[in-house]
Amino acid sequence: MTDAVIRLPLAVVEGIHLAGLVEEFTDVLAGSDGEPDPGLSRLTPDPYPEDAEASAEFAAATHDDLLDRRTADAAVVRNGLTPFLTIAAEDLAEDDALARQDVVIPASDIDAWLRTLTALRLVIATRLDITAEDDEHDLEDPRFGVYDWLGFRLDGLIALADAHDEYSAH
Amino acid sequence: MGMSTPIATPDLGEATDLQATPLEPWEVVVWNDPVNLMGYVARVFRTYFGYSAEQATTLMLAVHNDGHAIVATGPRETMEVHAQAMHDYGLWATVRKAPQ
Repeated sequence: MTDAVIRLPLAVVEGIHLAGLVEEFTDVLAGSDGEPDPGLSRLTPDPYPEDAEASAEFAAATHDDLLDRRTADAAVVRNGLTPFLTIAAEDLAEDDALARQDVVIPASDIDAWLRTLTALRLVIATRLDITAEDDEHDLEDPRFGVYDWLGFRLDGLIALADAHDEYSAH
Repeated sequence: MGMSTPIATPDLGEATDLQATPLEPWEVVVWNDPVNLMGYVARVFRTYFGYSAEQATTLMLAVHNDGHAIVATGPRETMEVHAQAMHDYGLWATVRKAPQ
């Protein structure tokens, strides 16, 4: 089933916001040669925390490729969000902003989507210094809202992807 | 052991290539983190390693409750490939020699 798709339900304003986040993420990935963004360190974990030499060897052999794959994943997601890129959120009436506009994701792209939404949350979590599952969320900090919203949409997308796999298996 | 001469003397010239000794097993360990969703971790184990949904959930719960789980065992190079894939998925994976 090459034409199988998964529909991610989003409000227009969510699509615009997500597209913006993915653009920003792509910039962070591209700039990783210069000043290392601390958020990226969580995306390239050290597989040999007790062996500095093996660690350095692994990083040298894999680090750039890993970021290239992340960039490719992010490009897939950005592509899927193209319809939202030309809409200016501030020009929208409230009704239009909250109108539903599903994103149609080819099943073959689902891993790129899940990996990218996960990576976005990891970067935000690093910046927010979230270190425990029950960390208090500072309600004054809007980034927590973004983090929780991404988690909500990612959770929904995982459920849709799992349901799709189950359906395809029968 | 007595001092008698061995019955057969091993031929040390050949068959002692240390590179060819049996491969020591290594393992991939996935560690708990506060960010990744439980359903996501289970899905990665199922779709990447080919575990059944039940096995994948058991492993995910081990990560969640025990702080880590061994998700693969085998030659070091293969384990490094798996660890890279886990990192692609945003999971926190390390590679270590399996305890003998």
